[in-house]
Amino acid sequence: MNKKTAQRKLEGSMFIAPWIIGFLAFVAFPLFYSLYMSFHQVRITVTGVQTTPIGVQYYREILFADGGLLYDDLVPFLREALVMIPIIIVFSLMIAILLNLKFAGRTAFRVIFFLPVIFASGQIIGEFIAQGEGSLGIISSLRIDYMLARYLPPSWAGPIGNVIGSFVLVLWYSGVQILIFLAGRQTIARTVYEAARIDGADPWSTFWKITLPGMVPFIFLNVIFTIVDLFTYPSNPIISKVTTENYGLSSALAWIYFMIVLLFVALALLIYTRINASLSPRRQ
Amino acid sequence: MAKLSLESIPWIKTRRGSSPAGFGRKGILAGLKFKLLGREADKGLLFRLLMYLLLIDVAFIYLKPVFYMVTTMIKGAPDLLDPAVIWVPTGVYGGHLSEAIEMLDYAKSFGVSLNVSTLSAVLQVFSCAVAGYAFARLDFPFKRFWFAALLFTFIMPPQVTILPSILLFKELGWINTFWPLIVPAVFGHGLKGALFVLIFRQFFSTLPKEMEEAARIDGAGALRIFFRVMLPISRSAIIVVFLFSFVWAWNDAYFPSMYMFGASDVPLSVGLSKLNAQLAMEAQEGGLRAFLEPVKMGAAFLIILPLLVLYAFTQRWFVEGVERTGLVE
Repeated sequence: MNKKTAQRKLEGSMFIAPWIIGFLAFVAFPLFYSLYMSFHQVRITVTGVQTTPIGVQYYREILFADGGLLYDDLVPFLREALVMIPIIIVFSLMIAILLNLKFAGRTAFRVIFFLPVIFASGQIIGEFIAQGEGSLGIISSLRIDYMLARYLPPSWAGPIGNVIGSFVLVLWYSGVQILIFLAGRQTIARTVYEAARIDGADPWSTFWKITLPGMVPFIFLNVIFTIVDLFTYPSNPIISKVTTENYGLSSALAWIYFMIVLLFVALALLIYTRINASLSPRRQ
Repeated sequence: MAKLSLESIPWIKTRRGSSPAGFGRKGILAGLKFKLLGREADKGLLFRLLMYLLLIDVAFIYLKPVFYMVTTMIKGAPDLLDPAVIWVPTGVYGGHLSEAIEMLDYAKSFGVSLNVSTLSAVLQVFSCAVAGYAFARLDFPFKRFWFAALLFTFIMPPQVTILPSILLFKELGWINTFWPLIVPAVFGHGLKGALFVLIFRQFFSTLPKEMEEAARIDGAGALRIFFRVMLPISRSAIIVVFLFSFVWAWNDAYFPSMYMFGASDVPLSVGLSKLNAQLAMEAQEGGLRAFLEPVKMGAAFLIILPLLVLYAFTQRWFVEGVERTGLVE
């Protein structure tokens, strides 16, 4: 028995070994090296990389001294992200539930709704935004931006106005999320719905009592995915600031940014565990 | 009348005998309500109408840029200057397209993109399947720790490690070659590698254990089980991962621009940003914006076209693969 488990461990190690080697070489090593660089002044010379310890100066510079590098771009972006994430989640959940129904032309719609997966990862989407494809005509005709500016503090009116102005963009970002919800919806057994129908539940309460609680794990997964996706998008304002011009400063900036991403993920995790805990007694 | 309309409601059929909706006015009202709202969310007429409205609207939003791209691309000079021509050009003009082909160096860049995307997709499918299988079914030391490392890799922005990676690849002499894009994929990393490992892990852990156990009793080792039993039945997961990996590698301009800034053979995605820069310069020198736009759209179309073709051929399996819960955590 013991020999058998030892052999299984050996087999498992053999399977995972390439991934671990890759992790050490392409993730762990660069990660610690960038942490190291963020505390050093880095000079690239012909003979190699020269570093002189500089302490937390770069961090202090980014966080306290020079607001331009971090705050001017980051704060509006974070506000936008906070508005965009719920819209993306609600929209993709809605579309996924609709696409899961049986109706004429479902296949055609599915093909169309998976298109964003192809478009939205590239620069093509940038082309579309430049075209003004991002805005909806109805927004300007209803003068929503004017209403926003009137009833909201200016620090929020700007980002929200931006999100509404590029509402179509929000739809474009929802490709993978729709897929995840569509796949997740399959995990709720059909029998549950049949039982609810026999008990005389109306569609409204079926949605709130069965579909939504069943989708909670996927909502969480999608929130995480959306956060990661939005925050690592190459056109994101902070990311374009990480350049090869100043290795130490850029590394410090990347690390600060990473901490903010982690904060967001942790926040999502916290909310998720709360919701899960409050649902679990009912879910038996 | 009332009875007839009630009979046609599926819910009444399934609950014959205990129907609360009697005859008379109340029955007609109830019948109307069921007709409009439906017993199930997807059966009512009103709901159907709203659903189609919403779906068609959103589908239009998704398709409109594609139409715009195609129609702008083939507009000739008179059409571009004529404000009455918006969607349907009076004739097909191929000049912008050929200009875009020339500026992108299409034949060469296409080859580069195809090679890089295919190679990294194939490698990622294989290496991520191996790692995913290990995480799902096999046992190895510190498994929980390595799984945490996997999740960590998933949420880490690539910008945290990009600079040391550039230094690392410089040290290895790989800058301005394709190796930095390919080699991490061999080890199950590379562009969104962690996500693919997670997808495969999820997929393998939903498969029944019996098959593996039977093979194990027959004396097959893990390698044999993986190649002979698991891989052949994971077609849907393989297709989903392959498509994602290919599309993302094809579209990605960030890593190539970081690792291959001085190379002459660049993928299409980098070619597009170069073309944009060139066009912006021309615009500054007094080029007419109306004539630069179609070139841009033509270039965008040329880049997206291979993906659309690929998607057209694989979408059937792709949709099916998504359905089979290969994607969910």
